[in-house]
Formats: sequence, C-alpha cells, structure tokens
Amino acid sequence: METTEKTPDLIGQSVDRLDVHEKVTGAAVFTDDLQFGRKLLHARIKRSPHPHALIKSIDISRALALPGVKAIVTGEDFPEHIGLYLKDKHIFARERVRFVGEPVAGVAAITEELAEQAVELIDVEYQLLEPVFDPEFGASPEAPLIHPDLENYEVPNFIFPQAGTNIANHFKIRKGDTERTWERCAAIVERKFHIPHIQHVPIEPHVAIAKVEQTGKVTLWAASQSPFAQRNLIAKTLGISQSDMRVIAPLVGGGFGCKAGVTMEAMPVAIATKVPGYPVKLRLTREEEFYTNFVRQGLVIKIKVGCDADGKLLAMENTMYWDGGASTEYGVNITRAGGYSSTGPYDIPNVKTDSLCVYTNHPIGGAYRGFGMSELHTAVDQCMDELAETIGMDKVAFHKLNCVRGGDILVTGMTLHPVGLEECIDKVAKAIDWGQKPPASAPNKRRGKGIALAWKAPAMPPNAGSSAWIELNEDGTATLGIGGQEIGQGTFTAVAQIAAATLGVPYESIRIAGPLDTQYSPYEWQTVASRLTWSMGNAVRAAASDTRRQILETVADAWDEDVANLDIVNGVVISYKSEEEQPLKEMVIYGLPNEDFTEWTGGPIVGRGMFMPTYVTGLDAETGQGDRAVVHYTVGAQAFDIEIDIETGKIEILKGVAAFDVGKAINPELVKAQIEGGFVQGLSSAVFEEIQLKEGVMQNPSFVDYRIATSADTPREIESIIVEVPQDDGPWGARGVGEHPMIPAVAALANAIYDAVGVRMEGPPFSAEKIYLAMLDAGIVS
Amino acid sequence: MAYHNIIFTLNGEAEAVVVPSHMTLLQMLREEMVMTGTKNGCAAGECGACTVLLNGEPVNSCLVLAVECDGQELVTVEGLAHDSQLDPLQQALVEAGGVQCGFCTPGVLISARALLDRNPHPTEADVRAALVGNLCRCTGYVRIVDGVLAAAERA
Amino acid sequence: MHNPTPGLPAFDYIKPASLREASQFLMAHGDTARPFMGGTDTFVRMRDGFWREKHLVDVKHLDGMNTIAFDPEIGLTMGAAVNMNRVIASPEVNAHYPLLAQAAGTVASYQLRSRATIVGNICNGSPAGDTTGACIVLQGLLHIHSVDGTRTESLDNFFLGPGKTVLQPGDIVTAISFPLPPQPWTGCYIKLGRNALGDLAIVGVTALGYPDATAKSGYRFRLALASVAPVPLRPVAAETILAENSIDENIIAVAAQAAMDAVTPISDTRGSARYRKMMVRNLTRQAVTDVWQKIGD
Repeated sequence: METTEKTPDLIGQSVDRLDVHEKVTGAAVFTDDLQFGRKLLHARIKRSPHPHALIKSIDISRALALPGVKAIVTGEDFPEHIGLYLKDKHIFARERVRFVGEPVAGVAAITEELAEQAVELIDVEYQLLEPVFDPEFGASPEAPLIHPDLENYEVPNFIFPQAGTNIANHFKIRKGDTERTWERCAAIVERKFHIPHIQHVPIEPHVAIAKVEQTGKVTLWAASQSPFAQRNLIAKTLGISQSDMRVIAPLVGGGFGCKAGVTMEAMPVAIATKVPGYPVKLRLTREEEFYTNFVRQGLVIKIKVGCDADGKLLAMENTMYWDGGASTEYGVNITRAGGYSSTGPYDIPNVKTDSLCVYTNHPIGGAYRGFGMSELHTAVDQCMDELAETIGMDKVAFHKLNCVRGGDILVTGMTLHPVGLEECIDKVAKAIDWGQKPPASAPNKRRGKGIALAWKAPAMPPNAGSSAWIELNEDGTATLGIGGQEIGQGTFTAVAQIAAATLGVPYESIRIAGPLDTQYSPYEWQTVASRLTWSMGNAVRAAASDTRRQILETVADAWDEDVANLDIVNGVVISYKSEEEQPLKEMVIYGLPNEDFTEWTGGPIVGRGMFMPTYVTGLDAETGQGDRAVVHYTVGAQAFDIEIDIETGKIEILKGVAAFDVGKAINPELVKAQIEGGFVQGLSSAVFEEIQLKEGVMQNPSFVDYRIATSADTPREIESIIVEVPQDDGPWGARGVGEHPMIPAVAALANAIYDAVGVRMEGPPFSAEKIYLAMLDAGIVS
Repeated sequence: MAYHNIIFTLNGEAEAVVVPSHMTLLQMLREEMVMTGTKNGCAAGECGACTVLLNGEPVNSCLVLAVECDGQELVTVEGLAHDSQLDPLQQALVEAGGVQCGFCTPGVLISARALLDRNPHPTEADVRAALVGNLCRCTGYVRIVDGVLAAAERA
Repeated sequence: MHNPTPGLPAFDYIKPASLREASQFLMAHGDTARPFMGGTDTFVRMRDGFWREKHLVDVKHLDGMNTIAFDPEIGLTMGAAVNMNRVIASPEVNAHYPLLAQAAGTVASYQLRSRATIVGNICNGSPAGDTTGACIVLQGLLHIHSVDGTRTESLDNFFLGPGKTVLQPGDIVTAISFPLPPQPWTGCYIKLGRNALGDLAIVGVTALGYPDATAKSGYRFRLALASVAPVPLRPVAAETILAENSIDENIIAVAAQAAMDAVTPISDTRGSARYRKMMVRNLTRQAVTDVWQKIGD
C-alpha cells in the first residue's frame, strides 16, 4: 500500500451517506417488503414448550388435512447437522429438544393465519429430561448431557470440545506462573459476576423467503449479514452444491450479530424443498425474535487479579463459564475470543485463563456486538477499578500505568502493534473532568464518575477473505461489487469513498451493486467482527487500483505515453506531460479509437481485488500461546458522569464520553455515529436489559417487559472522540470500530455507581431496584 | 368472517378496499396496498415502526383495525415528500446523520412531522418525549433529535 | 412459552348505530362480545390469546362519547372515548383538573395516547393504570348505559381484582364526570417506571390535598396507589394520619410508612415486592411533600 502518498481528500471526509434518500422516503426495500405474487406460501413453526425432552412422536395428520396447507416438515426430513464452527444443530429438532422455542416442525400454507392454525393441530409427544440451567453446574460431572454425541461433531482444529461433557470448547491460557505470583502482590481483588443473557433487538425482525425450483436450484432472500456463509452452510446441510444456491440479501434493518451465520434462514429453504416452484416466506414475530433465535450468551465469570505496591499488574486468573445454550455452533468461538483477550487491554505478565463454553437448555447464544468482550470487560474493568482503589491509586493513573501499548507482549504471547490507548484514556479523562467532583444537584442525589477501557480483535477463522470488483459505465460512473452488507453501519458509504479516492473519481460516481446477491456479488466472509472497513476496504482499494491501472495502461498505450505521467483526477485521465485529457466515459466500454476510427485500444474495464489476512497463527491447545493470535486490536475508553436518586435508585446520565483508536476515520461523522449508537446500546444493556429465564422459559419476551433505551433515556450529552494511530495494513491506516463502543459501557457505569453511592454491583442490569436495594442492604439508605 | 368495504384517503388520494374485520391498518397498508414504507417491528404497539398519521395524529397502525379507517384520512411516510422533493424534516434528518439502518426512520419521521405540526418550536425535551414511542437501536437517538431540532429551526 | 400469533385472531367488527343497539348486542352475545374504544389493550390481549371474543363492538362514535364539557356549577364531564392526548391538550382539563392531564401525560407514548382512553383503562380493571388514581382522588363517577337504562358507579367500589370490575355484560361506560374539587387544591402523580418516560408504573402514587377546617390538621389528603395491590388502593390509614395530626416532615414520613404498611404488592418481572413497598413509602412521602409545599403555609 502506498503510505507515503498524500491522503486523498475523500479519505477523512464526512460525506453524506449514499443510501439515505430511499430510507427517508420509505422506498428502501427490506426483505419483508419484497413482493412475490400469489404463489407465495407462508410458513409458521411448531416449537418446543420444554427446555429438555425426548421427542416420542409427532403427528402431523390433522394439520395436513387443513385445506390450504401445502407442506409440513419435521427433523425426520433433514438429518444433517449445520453450524458455522461446531456442527451441532439441526434445522428441525431430531430425537430431542434442547430449548424452549426449538423448531420441531414447519408448515407452509396459503396464508400465515392458516399456517398458524395448522401448527396448533400438530401433536407432539415429549418425554421430559432433566434440564441444565446453569453453566457452572452444566460443566460439572453431575450434569446430564445435552449433547451426548459431542465427540462426533465436525469441528475446526482451533475449537476443543470435551467429549462426554457439556463443554463444547475449553480455551486455556497458561502464561507465566500465577500460582507463585500472588505472594508478591500488594493487593488482590477476587470477584464473581453473573452477566445475564440479552438480545440484539434489531428493529427489523428476522425474515427469509426461499424458493426451490424443480431442478433443485435454490434461491433464498434473507435479512442477512452473511449471504455467503448462509449459502455455504445451508447448501452443505441439504446436500446442494454452493453454486446451485443463490442468496439475495436486501438492506438489513439492524443486525448486531443476530443476522450472521445461519439462524432461522435454513427453515424456509427446508420447507421449500417440499413445494418446488413456490416461494415460502417465514418471518419471526417480535416474541420469537427474543428467544427462539440468537441471544447473547450469559456468563458466570470469576476473576482474581493482583498488583504490586506501585500498582503494576502482576497476575490474573480468569475462569469463564459461558452459558452457550442449546447449540454452541457459533458460541464456541466467542469462548475462544473471550479467552485470548481475557486480560482486557491490560499488560499482565502472569495469566491463567479457562474459558469454557457450556451447553445449557437455554436459548442459543450467537454472535452479538462485541463477541464476548462486553461480558468480559464488565468483570475485568470493575476489578481494575476496585484494585486501583485498594492500592490507593487514582483510577485513571492506574489505567495509564497498566494499559497495553505497542510492543507489549500480550496474553497470548502476541506482540501488540502501535495503539493509542493512553491517548484515549487521557482524552476521555479530560472530557469528563476526571478528578473534579461537582456537588449533586439535590439533597436526594449522589454524583459519581466511572471509567473503563476496552479492546477487541476481529474474531475470524485464519482465512476470512474479502473481494471486490469494479465495472465502469458509459456515463463515467463505477459500479462497485462487494459482498459486505449495509446493516446501518455505513459500509456502503465508506467503501464508496475508498473506491472513489483510489480510482480518482468523485464520490457521487460510485454505485454499489446492491442488493447483495451471491450470483453476482464477490465473496465476503461475513459482515461481522468490525472487519469490513479494514478487510473489505483493502479489497475495494485493490480493485480500484487494478481498475485504475487498466485505464492508465489503455490510455498510455493509445497516447504512446508512460503510465507514470498519467493520473485520473475527478473522473478524467490527464497527462502531466502532454496535458491531454480523456474523460472516463465511453472509453471504459469501447476503448480508445485511433484517429480514423479503424483501430481501438482497450475495451470494457473490469477491475478486481482481494484481501485475506493469512498471518494469524494457531494457539497452543494447553497454553493459548502463539505468535499472532489475531489480526489487530481496536482499543478505547469510555466514561460516565451520573447522578443517582437515592430515594428510588434511578440513574440519570449527565454525560457520556468515549474515545476509540480507529487508525484512520474514513468518514469521521459515520465513526461518531457508531460511537453514539454503541454507547447507547451499551448503556441500555447496563441499565435495562435482561432475558429473565425461569426454568428455561423467558419471562419477558416482548417490549413490554424487555425494556431498551428510548429517546428519553440517553445522556444529556455524549462526546465522541476519534484517535488515530494507523494500522499498518488497513486502508490509509483504518481499523474497525463497529462493535467497540458498546464494550466498556457496563463496567464504566458500574464504576460510576460505585463512585456515587459506594456499592459494587454483582452484575447488570443496574436497575433502579438493584441499586436501591443494594444501598438499603449496605445501610446507605434506610 | 365479516368483510367491510371501506373508503378513505391515503396520502391525499381516495382509496377503496375490502378488508376482513380483524385485519390491522398495518396489514392493509403493507399487504393490500403494497405501501411497504410503514414497517412491522412488533405488532404490539411498542416499537413505533408502524406509526402513521390518522386524521393528523400519530398512531401505531398495528393496533388500529383497517375497518376503523373508513371515512378517515391517512398519511404514511410515502406521503411526506412532494414531487420528489424531500420534506425539510427528511432533509434535516439526512444532514444530521440520523439515519443508519433506516428501519425505524419512517415511524420517526411521522412522529416528528406531527410534533412539528402541533409545536413548531419544540425544546429538546419536547422532541425526546415525542419520540419515546419510536425505538431505534442504531443511532442512540442523538442525531435523530438533532435533525428534528434543525428542521424546526429552519421552518 | 409465550408465542402469540403474528396477527389478530378472527372476529367480527360491529359498529352499532346507537347505544341501545350496542347494549342489546352485547347483552345478547354475552361473553362472546366485548366493547372497545382505543383498542390499545384489547388488540394486544387478543393477539396474546387472553381475550377470545368473536365480536368486537366499536362504541367510540356513539352519543356523548367524545365530548369534554365543563360546567362551573357541576364539574367536568368527559366522554368515555376521549383519548389521552385530547385530555392533555384540553383547556377545560388544564384549567380545572390539571392532575388528570399530568397523569395522562405519563402514559406510554404519544402514539398510544392518540388511541388510549382514561375510561378504557378503568374498565380493564388494571391496578397499574396511570390515570386511575387521579380519577379516584378527583371522585370520578362513571356513567353507564345498559339494556336496563343508565346508572352511575363511583370508583370507590368499582374494582374487584386484577382485571375485574363491577361491570356486567351489556354495560357500556359512556362518560366519566368529576365534581368540582374543594378549592384550593393541588395534586400530583409520581410514577416510577423503568425508562425515564413511558413504560408501565412499577409503583404509582397520586396525591391530592386541600385545606379543610373539619380536619384536625386543617388539611385533607386523598391518596391512591397503583401497581401495589390487586386493585388501585386508597391507603386510608395514611390519609387519616394526615388529617388528624399537624402536618410536618415527620408526620408526612409517618403517613408514608402507613401507606407502605397498607400495600401487598407482588414480585413480578417488573419489580420485587420489597422494592415496591419501599417505593410506596418514598414516593408517597415525595408526593405528599410536593402537594404540602403548595397548599401549606
């Protein structure tokens, strides 16, 4: 990459998004908006009411007899497993059900109402099995096995299931010698936290439509972050070749990880195989969205951390029991990521981590913004706050002393690249007026400030690739083909800027070839992991460079000039030598004619590019050590200034501040928008959100009792700060930031609560009730 | 099952539809009239993605029966722009950066349009209160509120 | 497992031409028919499968249902179908019964308030209704039409249990009226929800106070508590303490304690019984103090 060249104007410019006109007029097409005509069939799903049971029999005869019902399928029809990492899931339950809401049968009928009526007519006989509702218990030898066949599941070589147990993955860090270090510690903090399950709550619920032709070719339309992964996994499970399956992914109304991998999308495909030629549509109700699809795993985490008399961290022991739910096909990697980042962004020479992904009879844990980091940091950053206080050190000073810096050897033995974490801490501390304790606004209020740090690396397999193509049009515009999805984060806009800047055309000249369509779009691993600006950005930059090279070579040939003297500026090829100009219009299709139009040079220009980082190394199964665990880390810090009403326990957020090192902000306002949005989602998870599970049944599966932040709940002021310490292999130094703004929120708020009223919370959500009763029990109020 | 012949105006145009009793206004808009700008986020009156104007007042169309719209006036997000010119509110929201995934946007625009119609100079608190019934998961509401206030200032 | 249908169950929509026709239809169809106005509770419960009536009778267009009228000799009469936003905006309500507007303003969202009605909330018999407390302390009277004619019901003995009221099949509440409150009076409603605005009340405290020479303390308070008992509750012992004893910070605290002792909240997904009891005490103290500061010396 040309790092010595001047950064183009477009890079770092906050251009308007290119997808907004359609969104504000209602013209934007989301998956439920697609029209399929009168042949469309509607699907509804028969679901298990039990958390753990054997399926004794399924009688679909009464349902089949209902006029208007066209097909009914069960697990009997689809024997193969499906899964992104660990293949432990069936499309419909086979032999046993493992969570409340698990699909047992699927119905297609001419109306959604009829399908629902048919579902009611399906009779399933169950034999109840002893359930597991706690991951610590689930990991113990006493627990009944939820997946007795675990050892037979297909699994990649970086995941370590423990045969004969409920442990789907056990990731270990053994670095230095924690045992012998404790005696050198001047202060030790040992805490246990329970982090509950939460759900992504995209405002657009899941929806997918599938059609199978008589030839066996499949088309799937889905609200999807991962069209290529869905094609791959569903095709394999159904015994179809990938090229015989086409996935079309319109704009997504919020993903946050829940529309990654395969969740409900396999079901309409499976049902559609029984009604060739008929499209079959399945959409989740909001209630189904809450508990039958992906949730964020719960976590029980025990941390012991110690420092010397100067406050320098010496050792950490970290045991994590991830409540993976009924299937851990995706969750096993969250466990791994939690493990290899288990110190948080702190330099600790002695580390012992055990990160266990445990099966339970709970909803399925899947990718959720942060991929384990929010849960981890909730615990780690609270312990650091407490340790700083125990050793009598200012918390900001403690963070600055111990935070990771470029050149540090990390928990996995990897050497960290340059990062601006200290700069983030300094800027956040300044913006929140750290050290100033203004008086509370009323006698019944208490004021407090809290700070927390965060880091995260993209969690991917070692060969997650991006690719892009560019094709030029007669009017001088360029169509950019990508496989990464616009889920609101602004990726279409960012890559359009990258393409335009590299090619030398105006931003307005770039057209994104959407909606994503595996038939025409180039491969992209998934839209997850905050990886697109960096990875897909590199691929787009490479494609634009390739396109530029072809154009310049064509013109150089036609003009008999040296490519080195040519440039493309504002959509016009210019020669610095002869001062000739050639606009990029017809020439990009028809080539350049000679004087008498008897010969042409060039022809249709199509450029391509690819980026796949291959320098990630494996990690030792016993020690978790390896040269390069991850591609890179994005780091940041966040702080809250709050008031608590001691009569009710209610929190008012006066100000929130966050700083993240994004390497290079391609579009600064879009970066700030991510910081604000992640901040509020984090705040919401800290104050309101919890999947309340009782005997495996979600007690609050609707907006009535699963509360999220509304427009009235956000802080009076959110300040977003961008720090830029370039990433060596990012486009102009850019790194991702999509997930990170959510990560430190819970811990930062917990630390602010402690500063305000002197109680430490055992786990989120920090509801007014929890805070009030904690104060009551501590004698702070009576 | 009872059916009803209903006549109403939608975005200024007269329409006639036959609907069963239990069809909601949201279903009628999306399925009968293929006006898909208005979204289904929860079907329970909580998320606001289905907000439309019924006789000038914002309602959750998932909790209104289609048959109740007989003789009434409806406005949806498709009716906000005029001859391909964006309504100043839409423009202000775009410029403020208050649109990310766009799924909550139609409902937000309707609620905000109604707010500015009844209160042309809202305070920030007024805007936040008016949008409490429009859930957004992407933006954190910051730029949505900024956009509505900017639109108010321009009017 | 809570798994409601995507849409509403099938039913017939009935739009009667008169109150007489409406009451007759409801009487004739017993528990297969239900009147509705805003529908914000009705449709949610039908989708959830709790209410399964085959006939929904729209009564909101019938005589008197939509008027708001204030008579300086008699008081306020509000049609049952007047939605909450209209209450909040009404000059008559704001001039003479501002507590009603204040309480209505705490309900849910603007969209829901465009349809939800105060009377509808009362008829559903929910102990959590935000405006019910205001209606109780303002001595609201329900006007009911049935096949037997019209009658009134005070709110004092109207609620029988969660979701249960004294209403009979065929009954249609056409209006709620409020007598002139004793002047000068002040009231407030304090609602504790999870979010800053909207949400249901985890605990709600309504307080109304006025000078009264017949009370030993010189003042009388009417209190109503939401979400802390099977029905909206008047903590009479607390009211008595405030009537019998010279009012100061301590007496207010004692009264608040008595309010707390009067309630039997449950623990549910929204809050624990323990927290609710403490909040009854703290919010009653706050509400009474707010009112006292305005009516006291």
